[in-house]
Amino acid sequence: MLRLTLRNLAARKARFAMTTFAVVLGVGFVVASFVMSDGLRSTFDGLSEDITAGTDLLVRPTSEFGEPTPLDESLVEQVIAIDGVDNAVAYIESDENEIQPIKADGSTITTSGPPQITFAWMEDTSIGTFTIVEGRAPLGPDEFSMDLDAAARHDFVVGETYDVITPSGVWEDVELTATTRFGEDNTTVGATLMQVSLEEAQRLFGEPGSIDQVPLSLEDGADADAVMADIQTLLGGASAEIVDQATVTAEQQAEFDEGVTIIGNVLLGFAIISLFVSIFIIYNTFAIVLGQRVREMGLLRAIGADAAQLRRSVLGEAVIVGVVASLIGLVAGVGIAALLNAVFEALGAQLPDYPTILATRTIVFALILGVGVTVVSSIAPARAAASVSPIEALRDGGAVTPDDGRRRLTVGGTTLGAGFGLGALGLFGPSLSTMGLILTLGLAAVMVFLGLTLASPAVARPLTGAIGWPLSKVMGTAGELARGNASRNPRRTATTAAALMIGLSLVTMGYVVGESVKTSLGNLIAQSVTADYVIAGNEDNSGISPALADELAATGQFSAVTGMRYDEARLGSDVREVTALDLGTIDELFDIDLQAGTIPDSEATDVILLHDELAADLGVGVGDTVPIEFAGGMTADLEVSAIYADKTIFEDPLVPDQVFDDGLAATTDEWIAASLPDGISTADVAPLLAQLQATYPQVDISTTSEFQQSFEDTIDSALLVVNALLALAIVIALIGIANTLALSVHERTREIGLLRAVGMTRRQTRRMIRWEAVLVALFGAVLGVAAGTVFGWGIVQALPQDSFGGSLTIPVAPIIQVVVLAALATLVAAWLPARRAGKLDVLDAISH
Amino acid sequence: MTVLDPPIDTSIHPHVNIAASAVGVSKTYGSGDTIVRALDDVDVDFVKGHFTAIMGPSGSGKSTLMHCLAGLDTVSAGQVYVGDTDLSSLSERELTLLRRDQVGFIFQAFNLVPTLSAMENITLPMDLAGTDPDPVWLAQVIETVGLANRTSHRPNELSGGQQQRVAVSRALASRPQIIFADEPTGNLDSTTGAEILDFMRRAVRELGQTIVMVTHDPVAASYADRVVFLADGKIVDEIHAPTPETVLDSMKALGN
Repeated sequence: MLRLTLRNLAARKARFAMTTFAVVLGVGFVVASFVMSDGLRSTFDGLSEDITAGTDLLVRPTSEFGEPTPLDESLVEQVIAIDGVDNAVAYIESDENEIQPIKADGSTITTSGPPQITFAWMEDTSIGTFTIVEGRAPLGPDEFSMDLDAAARHDFVVGETYDVITPSGVWEDVELTATTRFGEDNTTVGATLMQVSLEEAQRLFGEPGSIDQVPLSLEDGADADAVMADIQTLLGGASAEIVDQATVTAEQQAEFDEGVTIIGNVLLGFAIISLFVSIFIIYNTFAIVLGQRVREMGLLRAIGADAAQLRRSVLGEAVIVGVVASLIGLVAGVGIAALLNAVFEALGAQLPDYPTILATRTIVFALILGVGVTVVSSIAPARAAASVSPIEALRDGGAVTPDDGRRRLTVGGTTLGAGFGLGALGLFGPSLSTMGLILTLGLAAVMVFLGLTLASPAVARPLTGAIGWPLSKVMGTAGELARGNASRNPRRTATTAAALMIGLSLVTMGYVVGESVKTSLGNLIAQSVTADYVIAGNEDNSGISPALADELAATGQFSAVTGMRYDEARLGSDVREVTALDLGTIDELFDIDLQAGTIPDSEATDVILLHDELAADLGVGVGDTVPIEFAGGMTADLEVSAIYADKTIFEDPLVPDQVFDDGLAATTDEWIAASLPDGISTADVAPLLAQLQATYPQVDISTTSEFQQSFEDTIDSALLVVNALLALAIVIALIGIANTLALSVHERTREIGLLRAVGMTRRQTRRMIRWEAVLVALFGAVLGVAAGTVFGWGIVQALPQDSFGGSLTIPVAPIIQVVVLAALATLVAAWLPARRAGKLDVLDAISH
Repeated sequence: MTVLDPPIDTSIHPHVNIAASAVGVSKTYGSGDTIVRALDDVDVDFVKGHFTAIMGPSGSGKSTLMHCLAGLDTVSAGQVYVGDTDLSSLSERELTLLRRDQVGFIFQAFNLVPTLSAMENITLPMDLAGTDPDPVWLAQVIETVGLANRTSHRPNELSGGQQQRVAVSRALASRPQIIFADEPTGNLDSTTGAEILDFMRRAVRELGQTIVMVTHDPVAASYADRVVFLADGKIVDEIHAPTPETVLDSMKALGN
């Protein structure tokens, strides 16, 4: 029997090659997600070690929540004085993208990917992570240095002077004194790393006299535990701690690892979707190929093979296909990983370089998944083929008689209903953990897809007939024949279309959810933000100097201006985000849906506005007092002056700027809101804003509608990434259509021969096959769009109706666009089988 | 009964009244020692309005001759004409169009496209050409083969005999120069087969069509006006106004 298995595979190489290809892509994507996350993890683990390489121990401030209060710079000298300490340095680090040097060509270094971070230069390079490559250390005022790769990448030259954007405006004529190396090999994973003197660091992104951390090195043979104990004593009751290198490295790795794990899991999720899609392709191939071999099966049965032997033979074929495909998939996975890198880069989210690691876990997983998927998909066709009675098979070499369609419809309908039910339970039932929710919805989706595949043959004939109606009118006989072919075997059409259905339903779901969120948030912003301008940093985490809000207000052109600052504080028993702003501007800039009390004026101190839900949680009302505690330990008692209900911008407790000024070290504004008085138009203030923009190049000044557009753009980019990741599943589906078609062409050789004999031209033949493919694809697309719209609708209903949800919007144009694209891609995919059909030798075909 | 025309002397009237002809046709496969001559310098004419049967033992080249005459296969030497058209000068596409417009086919089995109704199968060549069938002629054809109430059925709803009748109708529907039938009754029982052969004979006598039929069955051949015998790729005999007995006698003579 084994010999027969191998012979069968050898005889049908071409047909199994397509199946193998589907498995290869699915497995390859899984492998790629492992290769990427393992590689990235390795890179970041190395980076973590580089960061802490010279540090034996580290003194750092602590806080229970929020930003910790910086350390006093005098601590460095005190630490050096301790026995066993070799040396210690002052360490300050900027936020990501807080400092942005301007290139020689006038543009800033754009950092949609890896960040730009600036450090205080650490004189002792055995502790510090940087060494000079060329030039001298940036120790003086108006000097900076940059890591050598970033300098080369952005054409920064030692000795030249540049302008640098900082939160407080442009820092002019700064000399690049050196290029530096980070760690041994400058493994910056694409980041731009810069250094300035300690004084400049304190001025630009720290506080005078303060530092972030004190890394230190130990003398040879020093007792680390004793030194740590001594430093702990030195720190006393201050909010600071001493930790060793291993702790810091592990923390750093864990922090990076979290991000890598998220990327890896997202990729794995999409990989599993691709693999799921390929199940349908594999199933179809086996079903068709075995259907064509019924006669051979009958002969084997007649000469004494039992059904179990035949079943085993078919499953043996599946195992071999699975193993071969998985092994190829392992290699392909490395290529797919490279492809994904390119996709991410094209979408503006460049990943750092990483080594290619093919872990044992990856290999085992690939084999289990690849073989498992192939074998599982071949079980049903194997059973059907093996159960054919010898006489039936030998009589006319006909097809496997399909089992009862009614039963399929019942089972399919039930599965479909149960899938939707489970989905509803997941979305609207008791709240689940994220993982629980993903698993529930994933299982629900799988059930819906299986149910649709089982039940959809019932509608395949009328639906393809309807979709194909215009085709037969336009294309004549070739179109009419394509229409007939697409509906002649409803089960095959349904299974072939299912693969595309899955991909397109997820794309549709994304569009529906994305568009609905856009509409909902857009409505809310329109409703609750009455400000004319929104000014925000042009990169993540680049805070805005409070000076900008003051300058805007000082122009006298605006009716209201306020900076918005966020920080964490303890309110009641919980730590939560608090917003500080000029409370007196609220009326002019926002509609916060006031429920009780009055909005205080700009002069009010020690007051707080609460969202009604929070007020209820805290059990307080207007006039009551709420204690607040900041990270540094400062406390205040705030009087509740108003309760509000709007959720768009504010769900946080709102306090006057003065409360932050009292409770926190200097903070930067996250964004600024401003309004024009009646009679002044945006055109009137345009020159003024242009001037401010020149002084503060790192901010984006946008009108409220532009601002709304910008987050719509963010949602669009997210959808783009999702669609790019779904593209592979769709490619697999298209391969499936081409594969099924190739098998159908083979099966219909005689019929095509007949058509050619009675005068169908090659061109008409090719056209017939291609349009059959398009009809099958459109059938899948219609089901997919319908299912995806239902999924999207469910998710939108499950979103909070007063913020992200509430407005179901179905973006018809992009969905139609995707369907048309899929149809065009199908035309391309069907090119090969169509060509083959056109090239059939008429005589051979007739006597086939 | 119609009086049969004598064979026309083509040396005097080239191609007049000739639906198809082979002139010095050879067909060889392979080369050198392994060369196989399927057809060896065959000359034969098929007169318009006649029903001709081609007979011969297995491997005599009768199917090859038909395939070459119908533009399904190419010849190694010689010329094949359908009407005045020399097939050897035609491209693949021109051959296809010739088959569509000027040739009718009836095969032994698998004659019909399963996704099309009987009527759609009948008009298929014209639909492929994008031309409209002549409704009067079509009605007459359908009437003659007795399919009037079955035209909307799919092939799998028709009996084997009915399917062959549809095939005969398709071959007739576009009024081709010539119809080729390859063992058209080979898959049918003798009663149904006789019916089909009778239709074919009526198509020739009443509708003026030209049919060339390949068969190995003397009874089937006896429906024709003329029987051409092939052996080893050569025409070895022909008889006119055959009966099963005369056909059988000729075949026995060939065997010797």
